[in-house]
Amino acid sequence: MKNILFLFYILPLSLAAQLITGTVQDNENEPLVGASVTIVGTTTGTTTDIHGQFELNASPEDSLQISFVGFQTKVLAVANRQKLDIQLQPDTELEAVTVESSATFIDELQPIHSEVITEKELLKAACCNLSESFETNASVDVSFTDAVTGTKMIRMLGLDGKYTLINRENMPLVRGLTSRAGLNLVPGTWIQSIDVGKGAGSVVNGFESMTGQINLEYKKPETAEKLYLNAYANSFGRTELNANATVQLNDKWSTGILAHTDYFAADRDKNNDGFMDLPKARQINVLNRYKYMGDRVRSQIGLHVLKDQKAGGQLGFDFGDDTSTSDLYGYSSETTRAELFGKFGLLFPEAPYKGWGLLYSLSYQKQTSGFGRRSYIGEEKTLYTNLIHQNILGNSFHQYKLGGSLLVDLYDEQFADSLFARNEIVPGGFFEYTYLPNDQFTLVLGSRLDFHNLYGIYHSPRIHTKYAFGKGTTLRAAAGKGYRTSNIIPENNQTLVSSRRLVVEESLQPEESWNLGGSLVQEVTIGSKRLNLTADYFYTIFENQVITDMDQNPQEVRFYNLDGKSYASSLQLEADYKVTPRLSTKAAYKLYDVKATINDQLQPLPFVAKNRFFWNWSYSSKYDIWQADLTLQWYGKKRLPDTSEKPEAFQQQDYAPDFTNINAQVSRAFRWGNVYIGSENLLDFRQDNPIIDPENPFGENFDGSLVWGPVAGRVIYFGVRYKID
Amino acid sequence: MKYLLIVTTCFLAVSFSANAQKIQKIEIQTSAVCEMCQYTIEKDMAFEKGVESATLDLDTKKLLVTFNSKKTSPETIRKRITLIGYDADSLKRDAKAHSKLPYCCQSDENGVPFVDHGDDHKDE
Repeated sequence: MKNILFLFYILPLSLAAQLITGTVQDNENEPLVGASVTIVGTTTGTTTDIHGQFELNASPEDSLQISFVGFQTKVLAVANRQKLDIQLQPDTELEAVTVESSATFIDELQPIHSEVITEKELLKAACCNLSESFETNASVDVSFTDAVTGTKMIRMLGLDGKYTLINRENMPLVRGLTSRAGLNLVPGTWIQSIDVGKGAGSVVNGFESMTGQINLEYKKPETAEKLYLNAYANSFGRTELNANATVQLNDKWSTGILAHTDYFAADRDKNNDGFMDLPKARQINVLNRYKYMGDRVRSQIGLHVLKDQKAGGQLGFDFGDDTSTSDLYGYSSETTRAELFGKFGLLFPEAPYKGWGLLYSLSYQKQTSGFGRRSYIGEEKTLYTNLIHQNILGNSFHQYKLGGSLLVDLYDEQFADSLFARNEIVPGGFFEYTYLPNDQFTLVLGSRLDFHNLYGIYHSPRIHTKYAFGKGTTLRAAAGKGYRTSNIIPENNQTLVSSRRLVVEESLQPEESWNLGGSLVQEVTIGSKRLNLTADYFYTIFENQVITDMDQNPQEVRFYNLDGKSYASSLQLEADYKVTPRLSTKAAYKLYDVKATINDQLQPLPFVAKNRFFWNWSYSSKYDIWQADLTLQWYGKKRLPDTSEKPEAFQQQDYAPDFTNINAQVSRAFRWGNVYIGSENLLDFRQDNPIIDPENPFGENFDGSLVWGPVAGRVIYFGVRYKID
Repeated sequence: MKYLLIVTTCFLAVSFSANAQKIQKIEIQTSAVCEMCQYTIEKDMAFEKGVESATLDLDTKKLLVTFNSKKTSPETIRKRITLIGYDADSLKRDAKAHSKLPYCCQSDENGVPFVDHGDDHKDE
């Protein structure tokens, strides 16, 4: 029974592709003939005709790349437009080749401040899964959660990644019981592009986006390579194999399969504390989907299954060992997940602004873990459906999306001797109006109402606006409300690799927050070089939050509803400069002020650095035959939970020191693919003694949860990619 | 160790000078029609073994290739161009490869492009 695969998972169908027309002109309004117009991340594209005009089928979430020899390549989002008039600026360098996509760009037309990480950028960090896909991106922070489980977590706007809605093609993906571990379950080679939206998200995608939303586009059956193979190995002994294949079955149907497996089984303990620095791990992960692309109907259906196992803790602990009876302190984890998902879209070729979309997903996931003598079993069955209707009001200056969704989450959890079950049934409806009077101004007003069977009515109003001042200056502002239900055990796995007792003080209420913020993007031309300057500021304030209190008592971790204040203020300044056509650099500085009332005192959240600096250099030779990247990240000091009541020998400092991390990679392209070699944590920086009292893991002072820096040392990796287009 | 270094240095010097004498240039008449073709051909040539550089003159459609005759030959290079999808001197293009080229680069059997690229609009 427990193994029945309930796959059901429905997500908003990006209102499927529609015919986009447009013209491409030069700076003197002369049509450009033969300019290339392609959908970013795909090989789909066209060229302009003798009048500089083009026609192309694209979805609103696609981005188009327009390039022409002698002109600067431009990338812009389709968004809600059916007609795009594009002007290209002459490339003053008169570079012979302009058909080179930028790796990351800020989506020009989106009213939401979003950065698109393209496949080119993703290749710069070759390993291994979604948690590592942000290494060359300044907006998302990645860190280890603890010294035993090897889990990496992300933070956005200074807050835990669980407050970011992580979607796959607009359907919820990383949430619920796997909101933490789920990043590890998305193989990097499956991802075609990532859209990182900061601040409140669109109401169409639900109420859960509190600090932002990350949308993943997987490689698509109709556009991805026919065959893509990747082998990876690193100096720790981790190996990975990836295989993607697509088949065009006929002119309407196509299918794609994405497969991944990884294996790591070394007892690796460089810091000599008797504990593996990283757990052993093995995973099998397969997704297959079928897609139908008709003139009036677009549809797809897919199946995703995975199994992931980990075994960590003291040296010698292995896969299959039982943590509750082993003499060793062991960590074990087994995740299984199966999902059936699909989309159905109805198009109106005679009225391209109009459309219906239905997204659905049915999923089952089970997480079984052991942390020394403590064990956890969690099961989650989820049904998600979202129906979206898009149309205009009178003319295309006024557009709207209207729809309804149903989210059902059935949870069964068992921790130690306690059982928890929770059934959430949340029907909801939304309306989003977009005012688009011209190319300069966009206003999006959205509102959604959800009726939670346990927690009552959720009202999520959202507003987004964008204004482009003349040339190269864009201002955006956004505000909105979000909600989520917390699952304290999977979200705080790191606290279980310690002797801390879990204390839930009261009945935990849903988390609720407002987010306000905006950004200013300025393009500056210095001589012939272009400099992009971005400043963004976002403020998140919680009306309720489930506080994880590790301060009150070093032998406990306490959970309670916020009683006081909790906010996160995030300022990011970023400069992106093309030093030469082949060499570019990006620097970013972030200032966080993240505080919450913990242990009756408004204090900085532990493990969040107030200051962070990011610097990336990227070189590519002509035609990207050689590509080299170097990323430096500096993290300022971080507050650590109070350990002053521990025996003196086991006390930690109040603040962890700052540290620097460097990643580097070089790749060489061939006609058939490429080879790459790189290093993470090149400086081999490691936190000293990440585990407190590792000699007595069953004693009362043991704590592996106070981790603020890298646990594993320098890793060197290499790999090969082979592809047939 | 010292000897090894000397030997290596001599060897490198000899091989460099040997190679230097093998650099040759040829001009190949292609059936390229537009900037996209130029990009496609030049990029592909960048990956061709023994080819040092390749530039296409769009007015004459001639590809100037600098290559190392120890590593490749004019025949090999011409053959490769046909596999990209273009005629190379007297060699005819590979039809299958040609049909996979961007639409603006395709032409009928007589070499008449499907897309009228007009006169060189950049001269205006």
